[in-house]
Amino acid sequence: MGIQEQYRTDAANLLDSGAVKLVIGYGEGSTPERRRPIFIRSAEEVGRLVLDANCIANLSAYLVPEGLLSDGKSVAVFLKPDGIRSVNILAAEAQLNPEQVVILGFNIDAGLANPLPGRKANEFAPLLASLKSAGLSTDLQREADRLEQMTAVERFEYWKEQFSKCIKCYACRQVCPMCYCRRCIVDVNQPQWVNTSSHTLGNFEWNIIRAYHLAGRCVACGGCDRACPVNIPLRLLNHRMSKEALDTFDHFAGESADQKPVLATFRQDDPETFIL
Amino acid sequence: MTETFEPKIVAFVCTYCTYAGADLAGTSRMKYASNVRMVRLPCTGRISPMFILKALQKGADGVLVSGCHPGDCHFAQGNYHARRRWTVFRSLLAFTGIPEERIKFSWISAAEGAKFAELINSITDEIRALGPFEQYQELQKVIETQSTY
Amino acid sequence: MTRILLHSRVDDCLSAWRSAGFRVLAPSKRNDLTRFDEVHAASDMALDLVLPERTIKDHFFPQTEPLLNYRIKKQAIESDEMLPPQQKRIFFGVRPCDASGLEIDDALFGWDYKDRYWFSRRENSVIITIACTRADDFCMCTSVQLSPDSTKGSDVMLHPLKDGRGWRVVTLTDRGKELAETIASMLQEDASETAPAASVPVKFDLDKVTSWLADPSNFESHLWKEVSQRCIGCGSCTFLCPTCHCFDIQDEGDTYSGIRRKNWDSCSFAMFTMHTSGHNPRNTQSTRWRQRIMHKFNYYQGKFGVNSCSGCGRCTRQCPVDMGITETLQEITNLPR
Repeated sequence: MGIQEQYRTDAANLLDSGAVKLVIGYGEGSTPERRRPIFIRSAEEVGRLVLDANCIANLSAYLVPEGLLSDGKSVAVFLKPDGIRSVNILAAEAQLNPEQVVILGFNIDAGLANPLPGRKANEFAPLLASLKSAGLSTDLQREADRLEQMTAVERFEYWKEQFSKCIKCYACRQVCPMCYCRRCIVDVNQPQWVNTSSHTLGNFEWNIIRAYHLAGRCVACGGCDRACPVNIPLRLLNHRMSKEALDTFDHFAGESADQKPVLATFRQDDPETFIL
Repeated sequence: MTETFEPKIVAFVCTYCTYAGADLAGTSRMKYASNVRMVRLPCTGRISPMFILKALQKGADGVLVSGCHPGDCHFAQGNYHARRRWTVFRSLLAFTGIPEERIKFSWISAAEGAKFAELINSITDEIRALGPFEQYQELQKVIETQSTY
Repeated sequence: MTRILLHSRVDDCLSAWRSAGFRVLAPSKRNDLTRFDEVHAASDMALDLVLPERTIKDHFFPQTEPLLNYRIKKQAIESDEMLPPQQKRIFFGVRPCDASGLEIDDALFGWDYKDRYWFSRRENSVIITIACTRADDFCMCTSVQLSPDSTKGSDVMLHPLKDGRGWRVVTLTDRGKELAETIASMLQEDASETAPAASVPVKFDLDKVTSWLADPSNFESHLWKEVSQRCIGCGSCTFLCPTCHCFDIQDEGDTYSGIRRKNWDSCSFAMFTMHTSGHNPRNTQSTRWRQRIMHKFNYYQGKFGVNSCSGCGRCTRQCPVDMGITETLQEITNLPR
C-alpha cells in the first residue's frame, strides 16, 4: 500500500473513531503539478486526499485561526518536518496545545513522499534533533555568502531593488504559520511605526520587521518565498536570521514544544562582543 | 566655504544608568559633542527595534542604544533580553546593507559620566567620517516627491 | 492590402517615438520580475511571455500616489496639490486582457467624479496590444466574453504573422491612427497571413454565474464558506488584478507636515472594512471573498453594465493556496439548477 492510500485510510479511521474532527491535507490543484490545502470532515471524503512529492506547502498555518482548537477536539494535519517544527513553536508560544494536533507526517526524498512514524509532535524529537545536527541549508548559505561579500552599499542597493518590487500584499505574512498576531505591527497606526504606503522606504521597513519577527522562529518551509507574487528572495533574510539564532544562541527553531523562544530568554554569558 | 558635516545621532537610553551617566557628565561639566538627541526610556528592554528604524526614517545618520551593564538592570533582566535582540537585529541590519558602524550599542552606568562623554565624542567622530546616511535618506526624499509618471 | 511591422523595425519605431516625446513601456524582466518598464531597445522587451506578472494598471493607478502635501502651522494649514506629470506614453506589447482592464476601470474612475490622476494618464497613453497566440492553463478571457484578440481598450492591435517575422497592424482609434502615422515609413504593405489566435477554453457559464449571484437568496449560500476555506487573506489576487481598483487614503508624516496618499487596498484584508469601534461587518474570510466575487460579477455589472474581470487569470496563477476567481465561478456553474 502506497503512502497516499495508507494515509487516506488513517485519516478515515481518525475521523470515524472521532479521534479528530478535521483532517487538513492536500488535494488536487488547478494544474497537474499543483496541490492545494483541503479540509476533510468525514471519512467518505478521504478519497480527495493526495500525497506525493508536490505536497510542499506547510499546512500548520491552518491550525491557528481563532476558535479552531478551542473546543478541545483534535485536528489531524499532513506535515513535513518543517511543519512539525512549526507546531512545536506554536505550542512553545502557547498558540495551541500539541496534544490536539495529530500529525500525519511525511518527508519528500528523491521525488517521493515517505511516511514518518509518529502521531504527536513530541514523537518526532529524534528526527528534529538530527535535522539540527545536519545544519541549515547550504544552498541558502551560498546565496547569503554572496551577499555578505558585497560592501554595505552594494548590499543596500541589492535589497533596495528587491524591496522596491514589494506591493505590500502581505502574502508572506498571511501564509506564514508564525505570523498569527491579531494585529500586525504594520497595521498599528497609533503610532504609525511603519510607512503603510508601498514605496521603497515603507517596503524596506516592512520587510526588515517581518524578518526580525521571524528570528529563531522560521522553520525554512519556504512558504513566504513561494507566496511572494513579485519574487523577493525572502528566504535569504529568514535564513540569515536562523543562522544568527543557531550560531550565536544554539537555537534551532521548533526543536521541541518546550523550547523557549530565542528572544524571550537569555543566558548571562550571551556573547556581547559588539557592545561598547 | 566648506562646512563640516554634523551628523544627527539619536540615542535611546535607559533612565537608570546611561541617562544618569549622561547627567553625571553634565553636572561634572564635561564637554561632549552636541550631535546626540537623547530619548529616555525606562529600560533597554523597552527599546524596540522599531525605534531604530523610526530614527533612520526620520533622518538619523547614526543610532546609539545604551543601558545598564549586565547584572545591573533595575528590572533584573531587561538588558539581558535587550542584548539578544540587538545581536539579532544588528545582524539583520548589516545583512540588508545598513552599516554596523551607524548603529551602536553600549553599557554605561550612572557612575560612568566620563565614559559617556568619551563615547559620544568617538561615535560622533566616526559617523562624521562616514558622512550622512544618504542611501537611506534618499528613500525618504523620493517619497516626498511626485510620482515619476 | 494591410500593413505589417517587422520585428526588425521595432528599434526604429522606438527611436521615432522617443524623439516624438513619448516614453515607451513594454513587458520586460528585471530583478526576477516581469512587468511593464521603460524600454530603449527591442532587446529590452520580453514579448514572448503569455503575460507579464504585473499588469499595466500599475502605470495608471499606482500602488501609492501622493495627492497633496501639507504643513500644519500655528494658525493655518497649508497644502499643495501633487498632480501626475504630463508625460506622453506608449505601452507596447500589452495583452488584450490588460488593455480591456483599463476600459473596464474607466467606468469606475469616470462615474460621479472624474478621477484626474487616472484620466490624465489615460489620455496621455497609447495602448499597442499584441493578440495572443499562446495561452496558459489559467487564461480565461473567453469565459468573460473577451477573446485572445479582443480590441477593447486598445488603440492599435498587432496580430502576429504566421511566419513570425512581425505583426499585422490594425489601428483602432484616432490616437492609434496618429501613432501609426509617426511610424508609417517603417510599416510595409504585405498580405502575409496572421497566426491563429490562442485557443482559450471557456471555463464557466457566465450567464448562469451572474444570474446566480443576482439572486439574493444565494448571498448566504454555504458555497462561500466552502470555496474560501483555504483563503489566507493576502492581497496578491487583488493587487495583481488588472481591474481591482479599491484604495485607501492615508496621511503619512508627523505632527507638522506630511503627505496625503492614495494607496491600494484589498477587500481580502481583514482591516478593509474594520470600523473604529472594532466592529467588522465582513469579519470572516468567506464574506470577504464573497464581496470580491459579488463586486466583480454582480455589483459592477449592475452599476456599469460590464463585469469587472478581463480574464487574465493572474488571481489563480499567483495564488499561494491555488484559489482564484475561476474555481469559484466553476463551482457556481456546476451547482444543480
